[in-house]
Amino acid sequence: MALAAVFVLPILVIMGGLVFYPLAVSTVDSFYRVDPMRPDTPFVGFANYARLVTDSTVQASWFNTLAYVVFAVVLETLGGLGAALLLDRIRHGRRWLLAITVLPWCLPPVVNAIVWMWIFNPSYGLLNKVLLGLGLIAQNKVWFNDQATALFLVSLVHVWRMMPLTAVILLAALQSIPGELYEAAKLDGAGPVKSFRLVTLPLIAGGLAIALSQSTVFAFNLFDEAWILAGSSIDTRSVIIQVYLTAFQSMRLSSGMALSILAMIGSLAVSLVYVLKVYRETRYD
Amino acid sequence: MLRLVPSLLSRLGLLLAVALLIVWSLGPVYWSFVTSITPPLDLFGDTSFWPKHPTLQHYAKLFGATSLSQGNAVQSVWPQFSAALVNSIVTAAGATLVTVVVAAAGAYAFVRMKFPGRDICFYLVVATLAIPAYTVMIPLYRLMISLRLIDTYVGIVLIYVSAFLPLALWLMRSVYQAMPISLEEAAWLDGAGRVYTLVFIVLPLAAPGLIASAILTFLNAWGQFMVPLVFSPTLATKPLTVLLPEFVTRNYVDYGLMNAAGIFAIVPPVLIVLFLNRYLVSGLMAGATK
Repeated sequence: MALAAVFVLPILVIMGGLVFYPLAVSTVDSFYRVDPMRPDTPFVGFANYARLVTDSTVQASWFNTLAYVVFAVVLETLGGLGAALLLDRIRHGRRWLLAITVLPWCLPPVVNAIVWMWIFNPSYGLLNKVLLGLGLIAQNKVWFNDQATALFLVSLVHVWRMMPLTAVILLAALQSIPGELYEAAKLDGAGPVKSFRLVTLPLIAGGLAIALSQSTVFAFNLFDEAWILAGSSIDTRSVIIQVYLTAFQSMRLSSGMALSILAMIGSLAVSLVYVLKVYRETRYD
Repeated sequence: MLRLVPSLLSRLGLLLAVALLIVWSLGPVYWSFVTSITPPLDLFGDTSFWPKHPTLQHYAKLFGATSLSQGNAVQSVWPQFSAALVNSIVTAAGATLVTVVVAAAGAYAFVRMKFPGRDICFYLVVATLAIPAYTVMIPLYRLMISLRLIDTYVGIVLIYVSAFLPLALWLMRSVYQAMPISLEEAAWLDGAGRVYTLVFIVLPLAAPGLIASAILTFLNAWGQFMVPLVFSPTLATKPLTVLLPEFVTRNYVDYGLMNAAGIFAIVPPVLIVLFLNRYLVSGLMAGATK
């Protein structure tokens, strides 16, 4: 009992002091006006939240974050599933292919963004060069001039980093499927497509749900890639960048806290949807 | 003979898919490396997939050489670069050490010891994984100022530990849960104390889990950007990830230098993937599936 206290105490102190206490402060202060530039901290009720809902800049950042989530989840799931199926089939050199696949996830996101920024460079970038060489474009393009393209390219850099996680999770799920099931499906005359739909997909549903929720939460919290590639540009500004700018550049602390609380609720709600879905799906087994 | 055609085709498709995956994963890293050894003038002319005149001058700039730009002498970035490199190493290593020790002991208590509120405690800590960092960072900023921990190693390491501890705890709990309790019971019967049993019998068996937790924590800390952007305003603790984007000078972006610094910053992660990938992947799988 005393030993348990000694073992658990550091966790309680660190998590309590640096996560739960600030979280409580954030929640409470989001109902006050906390601004170092102005005197007093009066109680303002939901005023901070109300202003966030009508602020067009904040609305734009929610739209951008939504775009990131859609692009990232779709691309990571399709790409990750493809990579996982490939890794599952490979006999020779799987260890090496797996290492190569995982590598982007291990690199600092800032470095990834810098590497891709150079690839996207309008005058000397590799992307323009390759597309010109293939005859797909007639002249160099300034990729970040167009909002839709900019959102897609920021998502692409994020997908490059996060897809390995989806691939690894799905590979673990694929490897837990007993081989006899495929044999049985084959004996019953099922082709590769049918056996994928009837055997593989239902059995990796759990892993798929976990991968989806990871992709969503990480895309929801996208910051590094957009910040390095386009800074505070309104076209690519995510909700988290908006929080950073509000709190640490404009020093409107309580407004930043209110927005960060909304971001947390959004993030938790999305995770909860997936958790409940998995729970419902595995309950019948 | 005819039956060979479909199998050949599927083999070809497989090879193509493998090639695609390799180009997608390694292509950008390779291109960054090529850029880092291409002379500045070639970067703005005809670049090729293989550098025609490889040079180490961008790396030389990192390590102390002065250079000329439009007739003006440019100071070496070595003083900033070396300080940031040290800061990255100290904060990432410090966070890894503290996180693994705290998680190894804490997870053991959560699995093998009974105390009130045990499961609630554990799930509350793990639930913080879904909280965006900025939700706690604004009050944390004021807390750190009042504790005078802004821009100190202790402050940064503590924040990293609070951010990466839940994952390590989750991982170590699943490792202990998979271990048979009979070994520990045998040790207790022989008169070994609980601490002795944990350190000399349980931990050696849990080594793969410890290594996986250490790797995940180190990689997360090494690549962290948002936290030091706020909490490391000066070179006292500023890591490479925050320094690198600052290499954008007022007149032009020195892509050669930035890519050279980037290649340098990815050495530790690349070494980990090359030599410890087994533990890394098992950690990712356990962290994501259990």
